[in-house]
Amino acid sequence: MLRRSLPLVLLNCLVPFLQTNVVAAEDNPRSYFESHCVTCHDSELKKGGLDLTVLKFDLSKSANFTQWVKIYDRIDTGEMPPKKKARPPAAETKSVKAWLHDALIDAEKVVLKKRGQTGLRRLTRAEYENTVRDLFDMPGIALKGELPADGSAHGFDKNSDALDISHVNIAKYMEAANRILDLAIATRPNPPTVQKRRISLANRGGFVAHVIMNGDGVLLRDKKPDPDFPPAGEHRHIDQGAHEQIGSFRTGSTVGLFRHEDESFSPYFIEHVTIYPGRYRVRTSLWSFHWDKGRVLPARGTEAARLSVVQLTGDGRGGQHPSYVLGYYDAPSIESKEHELITWLNHNEIIGFNTASLAPTANYSRKGRAMAFTGPGIACDWLDIEGPLHEVWPPIAHQRLFGKLPLVEFRNDQTPKVSAPQRQRIRQLGAGRNRPDPESGIWTVQSKSPTNDADRLLASFLPKAFRRPVDQEVRQRYVAKFQERFKAGDCFETAMRWVYRAALCSPDFLYHVEPAGTLDQHAIANRLSYFLWNSMPDERLRQLANAGELKSKEVLRSEVERLLKDERSQRFVEDFLGQWLKLKQIAATDPDRKLYPEFSAYLQDSMVAESRAYFCELIDKDLDASYLVKSDFAMLNEKLAVHYGIPGVHGSQIRRVQLPADSQRGGFLTQAAVLKITANGTTTSPVPRGAFVMERLLGQMPEPPPPNIPAVEPDVRGASTIREQLEKHKANASCATCHLKIDPPGFALESFDVIGGFRTRYRSIGEGDPAPRGSIDPFIGISFKLGQPVDASGVIPDGRTFNGINDWKSLIAADRESLLRNLAKQLVIYSTGSDISFSERDEIAAIVKSVSKKKGGIRTLIHEIIQNELFRAK
Amino acid sequence: MSRAWDDIKMIEQITSCKRYCITASMILFAVFAFSAESTHAADAKKKTVERHTHHVVGLFCVEREADLREAVKQLPDLVFVSADFNKAEVVLSYDTKVLFPNMNDGQRVQRLDNMFKSVSSHTFSIKPLRPIADDKLTLIKIPVAGLDCKACSYGAYRAVHGIDGVEIATASFKAGLVTALIDPKKTNRIALEAALKQRGVAVK
Repeated sequence: MLRRSLPLVLLNCLVPFLQTNVVAAEDNPRSYFESHCVTCHDSELKKGGLDLTVLKFDLSKSANFTQWVKIYDRIDTGEMPPKKKARPPAAETKSVKAWLHDALIDAEKVVLKKRGQTGLRRLTRAEYENTVRDLFDMPGIALKGELPADGSAHGFDKNSDALDISHVNIAKYMEAANRILDLAIATRPNPPTVQKRRISLANRGGFVAHVIMNGDGVLLRDKKPDPDFPPAGEHRHIDQGAHEQIGSFRTGSTVGLFRHEDESFSPYFIEHVTIYPGRYRVRTSLWSFHWDKGRVLPARGTEAARLSVVQLTGDGRGGQHPSYVLGYYDAPSIESKEHELITWLNHNEIIGFNTASLAPTANYSRKGRAMAFTGPGIACDWLDIEGPLHEVWPPIAHQRLFGKLPLVEFRNDQTPKVSAPQRQRIRQLGAGRNRPDPESGIWTVQSKSPTNDADRLLASFLPKAFRRPVDQEVRQRYVAKFQERFKAGDCFETAMRWVYRAALCSPDFLYHVEPAGTLDQHAIANRLSYFLWNSMPDERLRQLANAGELKSKEVLRSEVERLLKDERSQRFVEDFLGQWLKLKQIAATDPDRKLYPEFSAYLQDSMVAESRAYFCELIDKDLDASYLVKSDFAMLNEKLAVHYGIPGVHGSQIRRVQLPADSQRGGFLTQAAVLKITANGTTTSPVPRGAFVMERLLGQMPEPPPPNIPAVEPDVRGASTIREQLEKHKANASCATCHLKIDPPGFALESFDVIGGFRTRYRSIGEGDPAPRGSIDPFIGISFKLGQPVDASGVIPDGRTFNGINDWKSLIAADRESLLRNLAKQLVIYSTGSDISFSERDEIAAIVKSVSKKKGGIRTLIHEIIQNELFRAK
Repeated sequence: MSRAWDDIKMIEQITSCKRYCITASMILFAVFAFSAESTHAADAKKKTVERHTHHVVGLFCVEREADLREAVKQLPDLVFVSADFNKAEVVLSYDTKVLFPNMNDGQRVQRLDNMFKSVSSHTFSIKPLRPIADDKLTLIKIPVAGLDCKACSYGAYRAVHGIDGVEIATASFKAGLVTALIDPKKTNRIALEAALKQRGVAVK
């Protein structure tokens, strides 16, 4: 009976609402829903899980509101009523849409009035670390890893819904504040002595010396085997201690390595273990060669070596995996090439090394060892490390806290009632040959007018730290705390340190303080810098905010340009892509070694570098939204170019490469990083890939899978394809509806394996034909087979068909507006820390319209977002 | 003092008269005692450099003599005179008063040992001369195979020289031979070969 008439519940809810709305009788939504919706969405059929007979039209309730938004969207896109059913007259649909649209907006206004727009949110871990780095000019201080992980809402960790705070956070903030102040405060009258050291990779007690004694490397002199250290062959070198005593590794000979980093081998330059955090100049000399059973010959091309930073832990014998990668550096054939960089090193950090472009190989236990080996090698002549480098002393971090107050030796005999400042003893782990300077007593800042100085210093520091002007009343509270500690017997430094720690743990520092309604100038400056730098505003932005000049569209535009040109904008690129395209999850899976033996850390890092460089290129060149999925160029280095089968690219550095006309590459979706992230390391499935495309690129959030339906597991034995299994799965009607939308992008991407390689047949470890080597390094053994052929064809929801990835990309790229709208949404959520509400959709549409009108691209989009009221008032 | 007694003997020969001789001796002794008292400070400043022979550990092949010379060069007030590879001995020239004031022989050798270790990364060590006569020792020769590498030879040397009862050892993979002069009461060939194998040396 219920199917025959509009349900009473719905009627009861709708009627009072309808009475207050101007809706023509013939356009009455009641008859619309009764005629076109309830037939399927009743308590009996409940299609798509929707039962309109019980759904109340109480839009003040969040769950109901969301459900009605979904209903609106289905009608708006034409998905509902279904195409196979009788189509309602367009005017009727338009009228119902308008009615529902207005009702939803009215209801939302009430909620937003109560709640405000973007909720109060704390800094994310990345924002916190970057803010400290910029505030104190300590560009490498590592804090993020010590803080609790941030949650995520609406795809980003910047969302207030995800940024809760607990006692654990507070405890960690206090620890972090202590670390910051330990590092920032100068405790000596002069800078630490600059030590310069030339280090051999085969340093004493290291892994490298051990493996070259056993044939995984050699010592070279004048590009030939070192006559005093014959390569290991039938016999290996015995007794590493004896070699180190005799000085075999201190001859200045070059170290040539054949072996790649692996579980039991991590090469380090262990003779420098950082004592004093700061900037260090690192130089190294690299080249490559072909080793032929004792002879050094020209290499096959330019190889790549990786330098990284490794944090020593525990007893200092090893730090295991790199903390972060400094970069990949070219090692040309036979000719030594010097590379130089300046990097920040933290306490107990060392420089790590890897023969990144070489295939994993080990002569260690192989008969004949190096003298029976033929293959590529990378040579490191030396590594120079010099530092810590200080342009000024006391360092800027100290000056931010204590200005120009003099550093004097603390004499307890002269001030017996004052407690000396606490100093931590420097402890160096590992086998570093660099040594700490001799202790020179306790040095601390001296103030002849403590309260006045405290007030003056806080007046300078607090507005910077809190990213906005600070009332005198607030500052006086901090000064009062200083006086309290000072009177209790703390020296000036300790009392100030106490106050600074309080400031660094205060809500004013930890939270984005934004007034309700239209943002003030400082909130705009903050939003701008946390959007494009993921960090605090610099001095210029602060000045503009103080002068009220960020109201001007022209000023805002020029500031956006300035921020985008600054290298700090890389933080935005990394953080935004890390979440939008989930690049942060790149290492979440380890590809199966039998199926994908060519995978390496170098390939993985190159994948991420490609996506970042591509996004930068879209911004720099202001390329339009179609480039998100389709492009005639890619950003590649040699490793990726070989992986993609594109010839003529040499070296480790990423650069723009024109793609062949028939290339399957171009756009984010065919980049190896995205393809790896959307696979599980062993197999691919159209479902997670399709869902990724819908959610991240097209802005259509797929429905979660219904309960009690088992996931489709690909068959690695190669007996059946994933498509065959999905066909069976879709026989279930409740699954079919969603899979019609989810699967097509996934089918198109089936042309790519779990590491982003192009394929026409699935790899198999069971049944199949012998696999040709293709572009896989000849020094990598392959055991996989070629199984079932790949079918990358499909039908998109509107009925159009595609036959492979390029067909599908053309279909999707044609709808630039949808792509642009979605990217606009993602950027707005990221930059404002709040989801797009129903009523804000119109603003998004306005942004998209404006960008399209200007024939602009991604850079224009960023400008339009920042100029829009959403950014400045949300 | 010894020079004074030589002078007395010379006078005895010249005079051939014991009576006068005793008197002369007494006079000369008194003169010497007087003069010795007055020139004591000057004598102390004079260098009484002498040659000293020591047992040296770490001289495992002939080529190591050059390393030993280099090591001695780094030590002020020590002069390398010669090295006897077969006996593992080094002759050094130095002034004990300057280098080792107020030290007995044991302390002097201990100090020398520390000095040599510090300049040779502990690859050379100085010991007192061997107390056991060569005829009570047995020479063992063990053919070995390995890389022609000085440090590897040193590794093989360390393996056998550390065994109690080995007085002298040599090792050279270039020559393919490890030798050891052993006290047969304390060790034997089997123990040497086992130590070499444990160190990774291929014993032929």
